[in-house]
Amino acid sequence: MKIHTSTVFLFLFPAMLGLAVFRLAPVLIAIVGGFFSQTIRGDTIFVGMLNYTNLFSDDGFWNSLKVTILFNAILNPIQIFLAFILAMLVLKPSPGISVLRTTYVLPMTVAASITATIWNILLNPTLGPVNGILREIGIGTQPFFTSENQALASFIAIATWKGTGYWMLFLLAGLIVIPKDVYEAAAIDGATGWKRFMWITFPLMKRPLLYVLVADTAINFLFFTPVYVISNGGPNGSTSVLMFEAYQAAFVYLDHGRSLAISTIVLLIVMSIAALQFRLMRINKAI
Amino acid sequence: MISKNLIRSLAILFIAVIEILHSARAGELNVVWMGWPEEYVAPLMKGFQSANPDVQLKIERIPFVQIMQTLEVRLSARESTPDIFMCDGSLTSSYAARGHALDLSSVIDRNRLTPSAASQASFDGKIYSAPFGSSSQQLYYNKDLFKAAGIEPPSADPSKRWTWEKVVEVARKLRDPKNNVYGLVIAQADRPFQLLPLGQSKGGVPISPDGLKATGYIDTKPFIDAFTFYQKMYNEWDIAPKGLFQINLNEELFRTGKAAMFIGGTFNMEEIAKYPKLNWGMGLHPYFEGGKPVTPTGAWHFCVNPRSKDLVSARKFVQYFMSEDVHSKWLQMRPYPPVLNQIWTKEKTYFDRNPGWALVRHELSNTAVPRPPIVGWREYEAILLQAIQDINNGVDVSKRLSVAAQLIDREMVKYK
Amino acid sequence: MFNFKILLTSNIWSIIFRYYSLILISILLMSPLFWVITSSFRPTTEIFSFSNDPSWKMLFPTELTLDHYQGIVRPEFIRAIANSLFVALATVVLGVLVNAMAGFAFAVFNFRFKNILFILVLASFMMPFESIIIPLFVLIRALGWTNSFQALILPEVANGLVIFLFRQLFISIPREIYEAALVDGASWFQIFVRIAMPLSGPTIATSALMLFILQWDAFFWPLVVASAPEYTVIQVAIIRNMTLEQSNWGIMFASTTAAVLIAAIPFLFLQRYYVKTIVESGIK
Repeated sequence: MKIHTSTVFLFLFPAMLGLAVFRLAPVLIAIVGGFFSQTIRGDTIFVGMLNYTNLFSDDGFWNSLKVTILFNAILNPIQIFLAFILAMLVLKPSPGISVLRTTYVLPMTVAASITATIWNILLNPTLGPVNGILREIGIGTQPFFTSENQALASFIAIATWKGTGYWMLFLLAGLIVIPKDVYEAAAIDGATGWKRFMWITFPLMKRPLLYVLVADTAINFLFFTPVYVISNGGPNGSTSVLMFEAYQAAFVYLDHGRSLAISTIVLLIVMSIAALQFRLMRINKAI
Repeated sequence: MISKNLIRSLAILFIAVIEILHSARAGELNVVWMGWPEEYVAPLMKGFQSANPDVQLKIERIPFVQIMQTLEVRLSARESTPDIFMCDGSLTSSYAARGHALDLSSVIDRNRLTPSAASQASFDGKIYSAPFGSSSQQLYYNKDLFKAAGIEPPSADPSKRWTWEKVVEVARKLRDPKNNVYGLVIAQADRPFQLLPLGQSKGGVPISPDGLKATGYIDTKPFIDAFTFYQKMYNEWDIAPKGLFQINLNEELFRTGKAAMFIGGTFNMEEIAKYPKLNWGMGLHPYFEGGKPVTPTGAWHFCVNPRSKDLVSARKFVQYFMSEDVHSKWLQMRPYPPVLNQIWTKEKTYFDRNPGWALVRHELSNTAVPRPPIVGWREYEAILLQAIQDINNGVDVSKRLSVAAQLIDREMVKYK
Repeated sequence: MFNFKILLTSNIWSIIFRYYSLILISILLMSPLFWVITSSFRPTTEIFSFSNDPSWKMLFPTELTLDHYQGIVRPEFIRAIANSLFVALATVVLGVLVNAMAGFAFAVFNFRFKNILFILVLASFMMPFESIIIPLFVLIRALGWTNSFQALILPEVANGLVIFLFRQLFISIPREIYEAALVDGASWFQIFVRIAMPLSGPTIATSALMLFILQWDAFFWPLVVASAPEYTVIQVAIIRNMTLEQSNWGIMFASTTAAVLIAAIPFLFLQRYYVKTIVESGIK
């Protein structure tokens, strides 16, 4: 197909300009910033890899790396799995389905800081309803955010609460465009249930699924606001995700170089995982 | 496709090269103020406007939760705005050392200020911020819970001030797990502001005089003992709600009758009035047996940006907001203990309405110790706060304080 | 492994099971919001009085009050809602168009540097916002855009996630369709508008919602760059109710409820794009 350069240009330019100016340029500045340090008077000096070597010799950094990976390794599969099931359940138009669908997406409309504040109250051992109910049904009061063992799990729970309905939408959009005749043809060939899922649904869902995988990973690796609002990285560093470390470095220790170094590391990790995800979902043609 | 990349590069260059400095016209002040309700801020600002019609005020109220971070972002840009910004008094040295605060010695007379306000506003012997309202902490108690248990409540008489040991003894009696009632709730359960006085009551000194060394100070016996005591309140003795650090939630506990005793700020005197079901009384902040009484204090100050394009108007702003008139008005709106000596005498009728004020005055004059005015207060506070949270959770006190001291020392290096 | 086919037959048990699961999940997801909504009708002093004792009192207020809602119907808050709506809608309109076009280009055209540019698109959403906020702020200041709508809208229009989303969609459309149109003499722009976009109903709806929610939830950026009263957005207005000394919980809950309900409207409106009938006519 003959495509004029100017056509390509026209299609790409507005978006790429916006990205370049408001995202890529600052990202580049941030990455470069990781190689500098600031004096208290605001003068910047080049320090090479110093910020990075300091990070690698800091236990706090390794702890937050561990916490972040643990958080994502558990949260992402749960969210995507639940979202997929939910999408399949709401697929068929039926009475009341649109109302139900709306309720699934509503948690996403609550801003991150408010979500955190509300859940902090809900799970509070003294003031919160959840513990009241747990006491009543015999399980007993749980410390949730106030316990080293439960805090991270509690964050995973609220992230799931907030995001599952949202990711469901994307998968739903993908399920909808699978034409009915494809299923009909498969039925004729005798492919049912599990086989149909593996050989028809799943391959046709690879593209939306890849999207959800990459996007969800990126968003969850950048998880920060609830930690800042609720737990301050504790108890005992058990919820100190990388982004929280970056925030502390910048706004508390006033060490911008260190903060940017951490952000760059996060960027590299997410890009690597994304690359793996692309590989994983590869089919014969480009995905 | 080179043309595409070239154009993109040019666009970026073009924008970067546009150094359109958004010059604030002379006669315009950008003010970042605390997110107090509009009805408290507007009258004062309007007052300034009418007295100074040639100055345009652009005011932003930023919520307490975010004001520090927002200011950091704005100030990092090292531009001419904000012209005036509000800050926690103990950060004065930090801002001054980093070149974000203007020397106000010529505009503010140190002798008008209460001693603790003056010390908070100073750096290197000069005044760098304008105090706007102070604070103190009192021991509130629930009259009904004390009556029901037949226990004599804490006294408002300074000579009969309760010790921490007595507070704990009573709290253990009044703790009622079945009804979710706590013996004692501390408002800011993880903040150095609230808790340094415990160690100080045992004679501890939080940091070296030059503000650069914490090892040998925060990790010594007085603080180890004080924080161990603190830890027991939340664990072994179970009189206080473990892991609850949110100020607002702690306040709610007392206000809804779930705490027999409560250590909180002066403003609670007015806020609690909104909860008619609560029968409350006020006593004095506790001290350790054998030690001396030490109470927290602190204030909201505001600073002037030295890079401001209109220093003349900025100085006028400072003078206006440091006038007795404005401080009187402010006192009527929010019950912050005044920082101007004159106001204490001038507003006698206001203070006489509530006997609690006599307590507050006593504390401010005798036992209040402001936080150490060190350059690295931000770092010090944050590191210690995390240590306190972990201590609250049950870790080894001595080790944790040691670790914190080392971290603090590390961060203070940049200020040498 | 569960047999999903059951869900698609009209067997009575499957219908019951399906609705049962869906309603249960809905209850689980909605109950926190339900608590917030009911609390918004309680007097502030009562909000936490019953929160920990399981009784019907926990769920249903003993005293009802509209004070909080009256409290939020003030010019400030209404203004904040209007601002947020304007910013969100502008971002949606501009964003869907601009990002769909880019996504289309990545999916359909072949050009030099395509892969590198696409990697840049992906990288754009993998960097934490907090790290780029200072350079971004300096840029906005240099342009003189502090406290303006441009500062709130323009940086969010180009969105790597949305470009990626559209690219995935447009790749799925068989090339023959484009080729047939080209043979008929259509320009690429016509193909984009008349063929590709109509086929992307659910994707347009989803990206519209993404951008809307992004702006509706926005908090830190507006606070830093545009917190003057004329430009205050809704999330900033809500948080303003929490100060050090008092949390006006009632007002915070009321304003959160209002924010959630308003945000639900676009979604209800866009529900029809999630109906499984469009596809049949489209492909044919």
